[in-house]
Amino acid sequence: MAAVAFLALVAALVLGWPSLVPVAVAVAGGFYALELAIDHAPLDLTAPAVAVGLLLAAELAYWSLDEREQAVGDPGEGLRRAAFVALLGVASLLVAGVLLALVDGVRARGLALDLVGAVAAAAVLVTVLVTARREPPQA
Amino acid sequence: MTRAGNPRLLGYSVLAAVGLLGALALRRPELAIVAAPFALLVVVGTRTARDPEVQVALAIADERTLEGTDLGVVATVRAQRSVDRLELLLELPRQVEVVSGDIVRSLRLRAGEERELEYTLRCTTWGVHELGRTRMRACDPFRIVTWKATGDETRQVKAYPSPITLRRLVPPIETQAFAGSQVARVKGDGVEYADIRDFVPGDRVRAINWRASARRQSLVVNERHPERNADVVLFVDSFVDVRGAGRSVLEEGVRAAGALAAHYLDRRDRVGLVGFGGVLRWLQPGMGTTQRYRLVETMIETGVEPTYTWRDVNVIPARILPAASLVLALTPLVDPRFIAALEDLRGRRFDVAVVEVDPIPLVEPGHTDVERSAYRLWLLEREVLRSRLERLGIGVATWGERDLETVLEEVRIFRRSTRLARV
Repeated sequence: MAAVAFLALVAALVLGWPSLVPVAVAVAGGFYALELAIDHAPLDLTAPAVAVGLLLAAELAYWSLDEREQAVGDPGEGLRRAAFVALLGVASLLVAGVLLALVDGVRARGLALDLVGAVAAAAVLVTVLVTARREPPQA
Repeated sequence: MTRAGNPRLLGYSVLAAVGLLGALALRRPELAIVAAPFALLVVVGTRTARDPEVQVALAIADERTLEGTDLGVVATVRAQRSVDRLELLLELPRQVEVVSGDIVRSLRLRAGEERELEYTLRCTTWGVHELGRTRMRACDPFRIVTWKATGDETRQVKAYPSPITLRRLVPPIETQAFAGSQVARVKGDGVEYADIRDFVPGDRVRAINWRASARRQSLVVNERHPERNADVVLFVDSFVDVRGAGRSVLEEGVRAAGALAAHYLDRRDRVGLVGFGGVLRWLQPGMGTTQRYRLVETMIETGVEPTYTWRDVNVIPARILPAASLVLALTPLVDPRFIAALEDLRGRRFDVAVVEVDPIPLVEPGHTDVERSAYRLWLLEREVLRSRLERLGIGVATWGERDLETVLEEVRIFRRSTRLARV
């Protein structure tokens, strides 16, 4: 699966198809999910690192595709973008770390908690979709 | 600007959805943790993105230029709100090339910031070119939302044909009444010696040729040719254009017409123009600097407008073709309507000469035997056509590899011989 993800990413970069980038990341994530399902580990503490790795892979792939436009930029634009991506990685690590700490803290199990989780996941998805579609208020 | 989704928006939304659903299905919170940064990025990116309201204004150093001459252009870009990356593409017509400056630029602008981008452009051919069409794409720092816009505030640049140096022109057979640089065939007051004749009362004493009078034992006077101006009508064929390998017979024809007009006007001749094609353009013969600009302005609007209707010289107003004017045609001799018009003009006793802008190097002979035979037949037909025109007294010279001056000399030689034959 890792090889498939790698090939998909290479194909996305070589052919210039941005739609293949999430496919490659999803396949890599699927590989991680499979590993979790097989191992039955209590809680994987490397999840924030995996999250940051996948996000950085996607960001760098999209950045590479952006550079295909051959637009001549201002001096230092590449460095600034690299710094921003690095900052994004650090912020993601923090967010994922906080979430991991929260998950680790809540040890309760049961149907009610599963329902709460499902509702929360659905709410997050709806929020993402609504936010993505709606025009932001003009300042 | 129009808001559009970046590929990241869809990609990260899908990844967030897959991660969260996977977490629910497999009951593994780690997958939700992995999906969280993607979801957060989508939410933050879409909420913080604002239309940067970018405006682009183009300033052109000179709206009139010569083909092949550098032209300075400054694009002023201004953003109302800060934009992390603005990609700006300056769209140029086919006839305009970039000498310096990047045609695709990416910029970072703060709110209210104004940037000037300098370009040096060059019009490769004459004509009216529209500059200023731009395409813009702006991104927020998270590159989740893209704003697109097209700038349609165009400016016209008139590129005049580059001058061609000519030392001698095709002289018209007949001259007009006004003073000019052309030695008239008639006799009168002038500088150029013509003949001698017997003295008659009223002749000026200074006109007496004393040597000839001494030999003849009677008074004889010198006769001279006056210097007069002429009427020249440039007859440009705009029915068809043959293009290829960076050449266009119409462009070259108009370039030659511009050079001829300038040189005839310098000789104080009256010059008119008829663009004979799908659209009939004409300019009444006139002289002076104003006429020169009028001619050039009319010429650079010349283009091929396809038409299947038959046109003859009857559609040309009579005042455009004055009697005893020289009609100098610039044509590839491809369209039968233009050839018929030439024959018609000659039939109406106009003094007609043809500069054939050679289309043959632009036509491929073909690959098959039939195509090559057709090509050879076409060449033969052109030879027949030339000789037919020459039989009518129309001087034809082909302008291809040689310079225009040599071609005009060929027309002059032909016209000298035809005049002698007529005598």
